[in-house]
Amino acid sequence: MASVNELMNGWGFGQQGTIASPSIVTPNTAATIWRHTNLNTKPWAKVPVNEDDRAEIGKGHEFPTQLFKSHYNMPTFEVSKYASSEFLAWVMSFSLGNVTVAGAAAPYTYTVVPALGATNPTGLELPYFSFVQQIRPGGSAILDEILVGCAVKGWKLSIKNSPGRASAMCSAECVTTGMYTSPSGITLPAVMMPHEFNAGMISALTINGINYLTGGSGKQFVSLDASWENNFRPGFFPGSGTQDGFQIQGRFEWGDRAFAVQFVVRVQAGSTEYANLINQTTGSATITFTRDTNNIFTMDIQKMGFNVVELSNTDGIVTLQVTGVQLYDAVNGLVTMSITTPQGGICQ
Amino acid sequence: MIFLESPNGDEVKEVEATPKVLTPLLVMGWRQVPAPPKHETVILANAKEEK
Repeated sequence: MASVNELMNGWGFGQQGTIASPSIVTPNTAATIWRHTNLNTKPWAKVPVNEDDRAEIGKGHEFPTQLFKSHYNMPTFEVSKYASSEFLAWVMSFSLGNVTVAGAAAPYTYTVVPALGATNPTGLELPYFSFVQQIRPGGSAILDEILVGCAVKGWKLSIKNSPGRASAMCSAECVTTGMYTSPSGITLPAVMMPHEFNAGMISALTINGINYLTGGSGKQFVSLDASWENNFRPGFFPGSGTQDGFQIQGRFEWGDRAFAVQFVVRVQAGSTEYANLINQTTGSATITFTRDTNNIFTMDIQKMGFNVVELSNTDGIVTLQVTGVQLYDAVNGLVTMSITTPQGGICQ
Repeated sequence: MIFLESPNGDEVKEVEATPKVLTPLLVMGWRQVPAPPKHETVILANAKEEK
């Protein structure tokens, strides 16, 4: 018996293999694994699936008589965290794929854009990482395994007008191939203390020409939800591999990716959100968190219009719920994430 | 400053590591590479021949 509080999560902040030779089957070493707490209280389940012969005739009856190993049907797993410079750098790097890092020593600045299949060295595949979960590792471990070949399927970033750490949150939805090693052979480090942001640290908030921090629209912002979805294609193929005799996935290729942004603002005289929608006005959007000079996150949406602007009520205040449509700019692409953080080696 | 390699690998250039500079290049498919080894010019002189 063990309390879920004993569950330790660690995962690769560096990618499996190397940048020059990325790998889906070579696990991270302990040197490139960090340990974090997780607001998701469930372990990452492994789900091997058996099949049977009930559909086959010639047995004299319709009932199954044998079991056959089929595949590992690994569920997605959510890493849910308060937004921090370290975690945002990790999420954005592993979910978007085209990463640069500058700095010979801390702080490091990561600039990340979505990779394109035509120029990405690994085609439609993103960097992979390993995930370690342990409960009382050692001679009598309840759980000790390293899941190999994990990828970030998508993320959600939410900003709310509430106090505390929950005002800025980020969660990553992860997938894995089914390959694992138990025991993991990894000694996890101490829990990392990330440099967290909260909504009060927003230092730039301009969307489609409207500045929500200063000027006429200052103090009118209520909340924002942004999300990314890689829509991975199933990774089973001839030669994709096996684990314990069950077929596993050998790749995660992105499908039609989706970038969504919705936000809520208070209505006031002269609100221009409606006009922007009707006139099909487009512009950039910049959202920046600044904790200090070593911990900064900026999301630069290169070209954004409004799809829906809906009058609503939020806690008794008349608001507009705006659904953005993020347009691909021929020069600057879709979105650029810039993160300054003390953590080096992310996605390297 | 960081080094980027062109999408087809035939060019490496050193660029300022700011989003404004990096974004258009990354969108075109340029990717970061390690700094190339420094080229040092070593002049070997034969003292006797010079005389």
